Amino acid sequence: MMSFEFLPQFPLPANPLALFGVLLLAGALGGELTRRVLNLPRITGYVLIGLTLGASGLDVLDSRMLGYARIFFDVGLGLVLFELGRRLDFTWLKRDRWLLVMATAESLLSFGCMFGALLWFHIAPLYAAVAAAIGISSSPAIVMLVARELRAEGQVTERALNLVAINSVVAFVLMTMLLSWIHREYHAGWFVMVLHPVYILVGSLFAGFLASVLALGLARWLGKKAELHIALLLAVVLLLVGAAEALKLSVLIALLTFGVLVKNLDDDHVLMPVDIGRLGQMFFIVLFVTTGAMLQITDVVAGGAVAVIYIAARFVGKSIGVLSFAHLSGIRAGIGGLLSIALLPMSGIALAMTHSASSLYPAFGAKLATIVLAAALILELIGPLAVQFALRHAGEAREEA
Amino acid sequence: MAAHEMDFKPSQDLSIGVELELQILNSRDYNLARDAADLLKVLEKLEHPGEIKPEITESMIELNSSIHTRHEALLAELKQIRDAVVEAAARLNLNIAGGGSHPFHKWSERRIYPTERFGHLLEVYGYLAKQYTVFGQHIHIGCPNGDEAVYLTHMLSRYIPHFIALSASSPFQQGADTGFQSSRLNTVSAFPLSGNMPFVTTWGEFVAYFEKMRGFGIVESMKDFYWDIRPKPEYGTVEIRVLDTPLTVEHAARLAAYAQTLAHYVLTRRPLPASADVYLVYKYNHFQACRYGLAATYIDAYTQRQLPLQRDILDTLELLHPHAAKLGTSEALGELRADADTRNSDANWLREMYRELGSLNDVARRQSEEWMGRAAARG
Repeated sequence: MMSFEFLPQFPLPANPLALFGVLLLAGALGGELTRRVLNLPRITGYVLIGLTLGASGLDVLDSRMLGYARIFFDVGLGLVLFELGRRLDFTWLKRDRWLLVMATAESLLSFGCMFGALLWFHIAPLYAAVAAAIGISSSPAIVMLVARELRAEGQVTERALNLVAINSVVAFVLMTMLLSWIHREYHAGWFVMVLHPVYILVGSLFAGFLASVLALGLARWLGKKAELHIALLLAVVLLLVGAAEALKLSVLIALLTFGVLVKNLDDDHVLMPVDIGRLGQMFFIVLFVTTGAMLQITDVVAGGAVAVIYIAARFVGKSIGVLSFAHLSGIRAGIGGLLSIALLPMSGIALAMTHSASSLYPAFGAKLATIVLAAALILELIGPLAVQFALRHAGEAREEA
Repeated sequence: MAAHEMDFKPSQDLSIGVELELQILNSRDYNLARDAADLLKVLEKLEHPGEIKPEITESMIELNSSIHTRHEALLAELKQIRDAVVEAAARLNLNIAGGGSHPFHKWSERRIYPTERFGHLLEVYGYLAKQYTVFGQHIHIGCPNGDEAVYLTHMLSRYIPHFIALSASSPFQQGADTGFQSSRLNTVSAFPLSGNMPFVTTWGEFVAYFEKMRGFGIVESMKDFYWDIRPKPEYGTVEIRVLDTPLTVEHAARLAAYAQTLAHYVLTRRPLPASADVYLVYKYNHFQACRYGLAATYIDAYTQRQLPLQRDILDTLELLHPHAAKLGTSEALGELRADADTRNSDANWLREMYRELGSLNDVARRQSEEWMGRAAARG
């Protein structure tokens, strides 16, 4: 009897590598198409192609596929947060305390406004609090990538990135602390209530710290060789993303901590200021495509008015926070307004946080999703435009024909 | 109007003034930043002597001292201006550095500072305008009249290699070691109106030359001549422009003291007549000084001898003793002598830093720390 065992069996098993290729290619093409045809930022295109391929569209990227894509999503997010962390400059914050005050103010005010608005809409306090905590964070991925695409540089760009880094920290910490409340709601024991947030917070911070010590130690030994430093950082980022997942820690907190510490603990300047963005670029594209695929148009319908109020309250809170202190920290007139606009986007982080809430208590996650994901989708699409607008009007984009 | 503009406005004999072009660096990788406009905005609110102005690209600023007759007063003022700039930069998370070139910036990434004049320069000179993101020190020496200014210009031309070698601080360009002590001047030589003043001997002849050039439509004002050394009638000065911005204001003030003392010697002693021969050897000497700094060979047009540039500098410093005593520049010249003796230059220091630290980012960082040094420690 003839045996055809050397031939592949149908249906073909899903192959994560091929999936990565598809996501990357789809993103690259979609981004370019969006730029050419609609004259919108490429990032919007990555998300749109994700939406098209996801459940809202052709449903090519169904939940099983998204499960495979999850790892690329995490790596992309990890890289973004690491890069963002490296931008957070303690020396600057020490010298310009108003910037720190501004960052804290906009984080807390936006939380307050969103929380209040959601309560007003009769959302249960716990959901309102968690949704508001998630909303504190501006999308580091969108702000960084738009800045990169425009090759923007200057005070608005730098300040926006530092504000995003700080509001991400506040959001992650607050969200972790709210875990206690979620556990209580679902009648978990008191030790879970107390220990889970502590484990995540302390564990993730410690993991980030270890990673930075490791990276700095190895960088010292390697010497000043740019290629080796790029490989080193990429390796430690991947290692840390994997470790954080395996240990059920927060990828977000761990990677942000790693970035912040590797920059701010490096007193002897042993680590070269290498740019891992170019290598990271492909992960960033996949991150946005996946984000798009995870979001659903139906969410917007379900979220509806609440999402719009949530977005408005968030913007109001952030703007008041920024504008109240802009004249003390800023330099030019109008810089506060541009900064407020640049902080508008919200994205993958919100998804990741909603996801981690769902993995604990699916019912909770589902309810939360109706509030947060609609807003995430809307802001994912207009966010890049907002940042582009802000950086161009600040005169910091470098686009010369 | 033309005559008026070329009237040589007499200024106090041997007064000095300094202009320094400086680098604005970010705090992340110490590449050039683009924040000149914001930095100048902050500086408007800070009290400081002198003046601070934009330069051709957004990564530069220029600081001007007032007019001085004493070296200590000049140095004290330069320190004050430096401290103000450093304070303003700190608020914006920027760093300021001296040095004739940024070690690794890419000229194509530069942006022209948005004024009409700079926009015009970009149009005229194309990429040269962006490559002109190099940083020089200009020294003004006050002259009583135009004829003296012309004479002083020719006499100082003999000493141009001294200034190049003593200030050289641009060994790196665009991410590579150029092998030069001052690579900055190679960027300047690309401009069609660079070089030196023609051999005229009176102010009248000079004005005639200028009017002819203007008649041809080659220049509109004295600003269009990018000469190494040129008379500046509106200030009543002779302006030496070949120096790289040194790594510290102290060194900048020392070099100004050297120029002042030399001018004192030239104008009080009138040791030699102006000679066109100086310009026969001029380019050779210029190149040697740029390439090798204090290790260069020098040709003395008056004696028609070749000697080490280091020797000529040390001999000159010796000759200037009595003049330095009169002007109060002995200490400054003593420090220059020590540098010349040991062939110690900013360019060598930068190369040393690169060997020690292993990356040009670190070189740029140390370069800025050196310039901001004491001010940062105090703040």
